[in-house]
Amino acid sequence: MEEKKTLLEIKDLEVIYQTDEATVHAVNGINFSLNEKETIGLVGETGAGKTTTALTILRLLPERTGRIKGGQVLFRGENLLDKSVPEMRRVRGAEISIIFQDPMTALNPALTVGDQVLESLEIHNTAGKSKQELNARVDELFNLVGIPAERKAEYPHQFSGGMKQRIVIAIALACAPQLLIADEPTTALDVTIQAQVLKLMENLKEELGTSMIIITHDLGVVAETCDKVAIMYAGEIVEAGTVEDIFNGKEHHPYTVGLFNAIPNLDEKEERLRPIDGLMPDPANLPQGCKFGPRCPHFTEACKAQTPYIYEEKEHRIMCNLFKKEAADE
Amino acid sequence: MGKFVLKRLLALIPTILIIVFVVYFILDLTPSSPGQLILGQMATEEAVEAKNIELGYDKPFLVRYVKYIIQLFQGDLGTSWVTGKGVLESVFARFPVTVTLSAGATVLGIVIGVLLGILAAVKQYSIFDAAGTTLAMILASFPAFWIGMMLVILFAQELGWLPSYGTGSIAHYILPWFTTACAFIASQLRMTRTSLLESIRMDYVRTARAKGQKESVVIYRHALRNALMPVVTMAGMNFGTLLGGTVTVETVFTLNGVGTLILTSIRSKDVPVVVGAIVILAICYTLVMLVVDILYGFIDPQVKARYIKN
Repeated sequence: MEEKKTLLEIKDLEVIYQTDEATVHAVNGINFSLNEKETIGLVGETGAGKTTTALTILRLLPERTGRIKGGQVLFRGENLLDKSVPEMRRVRGAEISIIFQDPMTALNPALTVGDQVLESLEIHNTAGKSKQELNARVDELFNLVGIPAERKAEYPHQFSGGMKQRIVIAIALACAPQLLIADEPTTALDVTIQAQVLKLMENLKEELGTSMIIITHDLGVVAETCDKVAIMYAGEIVEAGTVEDIFNGKEHHPYTVGLFNAIPNLDEKEERLRPIDGLMPDPANLPQGCKFGPRCPHFTEACKAQTPYIYEEKEHRIMCNLFKKEAADE
Repeated sequence: MGKFVLKRLLALIPTILIIVFVVYFILDLTPSSPGQLILGQMATEEAVEAKNIELGYDKPFLVRYVKYIIQLFQGDLGTSWVTGKGVLESVFARFPVTVTLSAGATVLGIVIGVLLGILAAVKQYSIFDAAGTTLAMILASFPAFWIGMMLVILFAQELGWLPSYGTGSIAHYILPWFTTACAFIASQLRMTRTSLLESIRMDYVRTARAKGQKESVVIYRHALRNALMPVVTMAGMNFGTLLGGTVTVETVFTLNGVGTLILTSIRSKDVPVVVGAIVILAICYTLVMLVVDILYGFIDPQVKARYIKN
């Protein structure tokens, strides 16, 4: 089997939002890597730092408040955090694209959808293609995402949510990026459309060989689309591994266990769902030691004292003291 | 679209009926004798009485109102009681001055106000933002006549660069334009800033940035275009208001505009001129707002779709 090439590597990334009132620790030293043609799922509750991670990769954090405190974002070996603004512009849309969460607001209401797809092509038209060639590519993209090309002269308000998401996907794919970040691509859509959009993304991934980061809180989406999974909690990756590790592995972080328990199971008769008790800590005021500690059923004084032990087995990494004990027992 | 315009023009008719009624009614509350006005102080009581009857002034208010409306829709605005000239003629004699003044001030207000507003929004919390909003506050707080007089003292009296009164050339209009534009620049700046700040935070602006678009194009093509609605509305309203509301500036710079005409006519109880001038201004205002509405269609395709559907 050929050696897989690393496309993206994130090292010790730390991001805060600095406001007058508080310092919000959104991402606290996360590490993960993604190979070519692979898909990774970033899973976690709202506020776990998933979107912040995505925005940091593209350097699209809000200018006034977002600060990258440390770490590296290596894309094909180059640190994106060192790039100048014009250099970064050539990466955005061309090599790394993003699909935002809400298709309803992601398109400019004043421009035709065709023009919005065309814009992406025009910005990165380094080959100097003619307007006709670019327009032909727009038609091609519309066909690719399953919208009749005649509709490109229409405005966003004339399309349904699922159709808009397809257009957003067409914009993201316009320049055949190597990495596609999908930030909750199906959350705002209703269930039948969700399946369609996921199917579409899956097909495109296979056809174009794009790597993907899928941000979601839906474990079903992950099981269907991802090769790797990183479970995020309070700005940290508490567990990471292959889909196999997360869904069928023996060892799990208590948070992951909680997430799975919160999914209704049709095979067993269950009176009610078992949600994880408590709320995610305020990222402006994180607990010491293990951030999941206050909600964890296995919480001990040791968890409070220091950053948790990191259990590793091949690609499977779990950040939890539970496994330290076991290691000591053996 | 044509249907939409026609509908709006038809809506002018009830508007005019109401305006004439209100103006007529208010002027009727103060006692006046048109016969006296026309014939002068030296006329005999009998002659004045005869003239009033000839003008129909012995008839009740509503009868006179209906008679005026009928005349109006035949295109007859009547004649001035004071000068004896046709109302239409006297208003249109003043109109070029007012339109030049209002249009120039509107253009200045839009250009300066919108540009400074964009700068303040794009560089929010910077020195440009602080300077812009402070300037807006200063411009809005000083009355136009005071600003006008200060400009006259500086540029006409001290420096001698510009004339301080009259309407001979473009140079004559520069000071009045700036004086009138002040309040307008302030409102336009604030409106542009607020509206643009809102649209800059929209998701589609982030989408444009994620495409790798240049910041200047992101602002112009994506943010500004969607922020224009309230800016255009305000510009139209301001222009419409200026058409009849430049009396103070006209007085400071001794320009003979429609505002001054209305003011002097009210003082001399020259009812036909007052009502006629106000009707003409009301029609102009409605037309300006109609243009604004049509512009909406060009800015927002959703509005355009609605116009075409109706």
